[in-house]
Amino acid sequence: MAPAVELRGITKRFPGVVANHDIDITVRRGTVHALVGENGAGKSTLMKILYGMQKPDEGTIGIDGEQVSFHSPADAIARNIGMVHQHFMLADNLTVLENIVLGGEKLHGIGGRARAEIVKISDRYGLGVRPDVLVEDLGVADRQRVEILKVLYRGARTLILDEPTAVLVPQEVDALFDNLRELKAEGLTVIFISHKLGEVLSVADDITVIRRGTTVASVVPGETTPKQLAELMVGSELPSPQTRESTVTDVRMLEVEGLRLVTADAEGVRRTVLDEVSLTIHKGEVLGIAGVEGNGQAELVEAIMGMRHPDSGTVTLDGTDISHAATRTRREDGIGYIPEDRHRHGLLLEAPLWENRILGHVTERPNAKGRLLDLKAARADTERIVTEYDVRTPGIEVTAASLSGGNQQKLIVGREMSHHPKLLIAAHPTRGVDVGAQAQIWDQIRTARREGLAVLLISADLDELIGLSDCLRVMYRGRLVADADPATITPEELGSAMTGAASGHLTASGEAAHQEPRPSQEGESE
Amino acid sequence: MKKLDKNKLILGVAAPVLAIVAALAITSVIILATGKDPIHAYTVMADFGSKSDSQVWIVNKAIPYYLSALAVAIGFRMNLFNIGVDGQYRIAAFFAAVVGGALTLPGFLQIPLIIIVAMLVGSVWAGIAGLLKTTRGVSEVITTIMLNSIAAAVIGYFLQEGRLAQKDGNLFHTPNIPSSSHFFTIPTTPKPLDGFLVVAVIVGALYWFVLNRTRFGFDLRTVGQSESAAEASGVSVKRMVVTSMLLSGAAAGLIGMPTLLGVSYNYGTDFPIGIGFTGIAIALLGRNHPVGMAAGALLWGFLERTGTQLEFEDYQQEIVGVMQGVIVLCVVIAYELVRRYGLRLQQRQVGEELAAQARKTDKAEVSA
Amino acid sequence: MHRVSKIVATGVATAALAASLTACGESSTEAGGADKGVGLAFDVGGRDDHSFNEAASRGVDKAGKELGVKSKLMTAKNGETEADREQRLSSLAEAGYNPVIGVGFNYGKSVNKVAKDYPKTTFGVVDSGATAKNVYGMVFAEHEGSYLAGVAAALKSKTHKVGFIGGVNNALIQKFQAGFEQGVRETDPSAKITSEYLYANDDKGFNDPAAAKGKAKGMLDAGIDVIYTAAGQSGNGSIETVAGKKGTWAIGVDSDQYLQPGLAQYKGSILTSVMKNVDVAVFDLVKSVKDKKPLTGDKLYTLKDNGVRLSTSGGFIDDIQAKLDAAKEKIASGQVKVGESPKK
Repeated sequence: MAPAVELRGITKRFPGVVANHDIDITVRRGTVHALVGENGAGKSTLMKILYGMQKPDEGTIGIDGEQVSFHSPADAIARNIGMVHQHFMLADNLTVLENIVLGGEKLHGIGGRARAEIVKISDRYGLGVRPDVLVEDLGVADRQRVEILKVLYRGARTLILDEPTAVLVPQEVDALFDNLRELKAEGLTVIFISHKLGEVLSVADDITVIRRGTTVASVVPGETTPKQLAELMVGSELPSPQTRESTVTDVRMLEVEGLRLVTADAEGVRRTVLDEVSLTIHKGEVLGIAGVEGNGQAELVEAIMGMRHPDSGTVTLDGTDISHAATRTRREDGIGYIPEDRHRHGLLLEAPLWENRILGHVTERPNAKGRLLDLKAARADTERIVTEYDVRTPGIEVTAASLSGGNQQKLIVGREMSHHPKLLIAAHPTRGVDVGAQAQIWDQIRTARREGLAVLLISADLDELIGLSDCLRVMYRGRLVADADPATITPEELGSAMTGAASGHLTASGEAAHQEPRPSQEGESE
Repeated sequence: MKKLDKNKLILGVAAPVLAIVAALAITSVIILATGKDPIHAYTVMADFGSKSDSQVWIVNKAIPYYLSALAVAIGFRMNLFNIGVDGQYRIAAFFAAVVGGALTLPGFLQIPLIIIVAMLVGSVWAGIAGLLKTTRGVSEVITTIMLNSIAAAVIGYFLQEGRLAQKDGNLFHTPNIPSSSHFFTIPTTPKPLDGFLVVAVIVGALYWFVLNRTRFGFDLRTVGQSESAAEASGVSVKRMVVTSMLLSGAAAGLIGMPTLLGVSYNYGTDFPIGIGFTGIAIALLGRNHPVGMAAGALLWGFLERTGTQLEFEDYQQEIVGVMQGVIVLCVVIAYELVRRYGLRLQQRQVGEELAAQARKTDKAEVSA
Repeated sequence: MHRVSKIVATGVATAALAASLTACGESSTEAGGADKGVGLAFDVGGRDDHSFNEAASRGVDKAGKELGVKSKLMTAKNGETEADREQRLSSLAEAGYNPVIGVGFNYGKSVNKVAKDYPKTTFGVVDSGATAKNVYGMVFAEHEGSYLAGVAAALKSKTHKVGFIGGVNNALIQKFQAGFEQGVRETDPSAKITSEYLYANDDKGFNDPAAAKGKAKGMLDAGIDVIYTAAGQSGNGSIETVAGKKGTWAIGVDSDQYLQPGLAQYKGSILTSVMKNVDVAVFDLVKSVKDKKPLTGDKLYTLKDNGVRLSTSGGFIDDIQAKLDAAKEKIASGQVKVGESPKK
């Protein structure tokens, strides 16, 4: 039997980012094939090539033993390849049925036949999709199943799932894996992209490891351990986000008290996104916020930054009430900000690096003297940041867009740290960043913490959270529902709390306990 | 690094050259299609346009165009499309003319007063659009278009006998401003240059300085490049929208001044209209750059000056209009092409240089 | 990059200033030409507006036929400035045309200004007065002609609702409105008059037939059955719309619009036209120059001397001719004074 997918010598060159070179992968039909690698290793690029979104510079793609050339996703779909993207592509205000038939109206019409087909597929693979529910009423896991159904509806026999578990909590992950096994049992092929080793080992039949854009190994789960897999992924050294000795002091740097924020969406539906959020971060302390994305973390950060105006509550920085201060004042007062989406909030992509160095600190030295810019000093300081923070660039006149993600992030970190913040807000600081840069950024956060910086860390990477934080809080539906000690908590227990299943103080046994602040961890008391 | 700079320079020159060549080619084809000789047309234009009185005419004509382009460009740098420059300068010039016609102060007081009134009225008119955008979320494109019509209606109402205007033959106009308030001219032969040239140059320099050398300018450009990044960096985007609309309107207020203070001395039925729209074309042409826009305004003046002459050579009157349109299109397309090419080129170079560095360090490690 | 732009800036500015201050190069006005005939500068709309401009060009055509005078016609664009008009006129004078005539009150200032630079050339301006000594200002008593149109409209209207559409709300067009309204009022005091303008102060009003269509449609819908449009080329839109509804009349302006080939298919709906004898005035001027006795100063063409009149083509007003003649007589004799500004 010819393999479902066979990639040979795939090479893709990209400006400034990790590209693919000499990729060889064979995916057997009727299996779950995992593609693992660190963030930025080139997995997503590879899948975009397979799905026809990008053309490889070299190499061949074979589908069911036949060599093909895809010019667009339509070609891939015609070859029964379907892709479920990391970010869902669903119209919120349409029903599940409408979303599924959208763009595929010719297949089974838009009425009864389509509905029957959807129900049939849903039943066969145990997806449990309800056709008439509005997508906006669905949770993340349900939406993902709709995406999968959408792909199956178009006749896919090979499914590509791009980091499907990134947005799920552990329990939902298990349900997803059950679905995948059903698909496999029906003879479908699943290509599963992930960097979470435990998951991969539990669901995959074959595993291909990608490092720095190329395939470094093909292994079978039964013959490998997570540690071996991890070492394959990152090379020999395993960077660890472990924080060693505690540097927490009892000086309160940031106090957030009773923050409440209600937003209205386009249809005027009001939603409480921040619900009585209170927290305190001391000098030298890293407070980690865990939670499935979209539970209010972004809003919390933006409220502290002054980009959103809470309906009630106070924010106090170093003893000064900044609840009503403008974003610029807060930055001047010593808040450093590593935004979640650096392209939208952290950089001017088409501006040179030195202008990006000014961004956010235009009123401060060395960027400005009085009301005028000090271009000479700003340029010189950009050179310093580039050197000190190891930003790999040929110069400071190049645009930010031409740097790789990791180097962009290093520039941002360097910029924020250069103004000696009292509080650093780091939202997903290592997302989409290569391994080398990740280790550097972790180092910088640790160093800053040792020097007495207070850090608010938001991350979807539970290992990062547990490794860097002095104290953990769990956010669920706009509330801080639980807290935990990173020294004892496991990712599974944290994941459980993220679904809202547990609250209060989480102990190592995973039981939800009473909300008693422990005297040793003052950071948690409010 | 030097390589990048050289490329930048080449790319900087490439866009206008590409645009001019393309525009000439297209225009030639069009002229050929009308059965005429394009080369002869260009010769006529070049000859006539370089005459000394043509030069003066072109510069004088370019002054309001340049001011208009600056007003538009202030918005463009912010990603705001101020289509309302037209209405802003007209209503500004109208009320400035009313004030100027009603007073007889010494010129050194009255001229600045008239100009300030014009800038204030222009600001207010543009500011309405800014306020509506920030408070009600109405697109400035829509409000400024509407405000153009409202401005025309307001002027139409007041520009009647017995209101703010007087009748002069078949014209209505506001009372003439006293001769002490006439703007100075720069004596040249055969006709003098409009003294407002000095003002235009100063405003252009100010535009460049404020945008590139001040914190405020940096904030404004930041909003133009990425509103979300600007917000996160601490710029109050809303305040910036209002401020830049006010500035844009103030600059628009200047557009009518060369005419009011140097040509017509009143605002009448025959006061020029449409310069605000020409300004949009010139701002596009000059890529919002103060020097580029000056070149664009002069080019516009040149085309208008020499277009009339083409009519004497039996070319179609519309040829010049077509040329203007073609040039703007070519410039916009050429710049976008060159910009994208440059961005890709730069990314590739950065990638290559980093790869070269990496190989070097790898080798060093191996040998070590 | 910045240094480069600075250098460019300085260079361009210096070059431009130096060029102009020293006025290097030959001035275009140093060239001269022979007597080439009449140069006519139109207002917006151009020669074929079936109305005002066309009347002027008829005068030029007549001069061509009868006097053998050649001509050059040029047209204004929308949104022109004084500089554009001055340039057009001086280019014509420069090229050796004599007389040079600006058609439309917009040329009032520029003709008089340019005339001073070319004292040997005779200039003419339609609808505006002369201030320079070599200028012939041709102005018309449009209000008197419009008065007769008002009389005709009042007599012909069955609904006793009549309408006036002006292209641009300026002093000139208000004369049309004033005369028309007075004529209607004094003929049928019970008639309802609706007067509207296409634009408050934008020359587009003279070449925007679509806008006139809309206005006319609105008036017809309101039960108005006679519409007088004074809007240059825009009037075509109004006439077309009126022709689309049976039993309604359009009154044309400036030329005898019944006779115009471009409007032939609507001529059955053109009651009459208020003719401004621009052609006669233009011809007179051309002839005077040809005869080396150039006309100068202001000349008012009135109803009395047939400078303005109602056209009779089509014969639609034959039945009321007597009443029209009576009204004309009253104006000619000064018994009725027609106002130039609409009553507010």
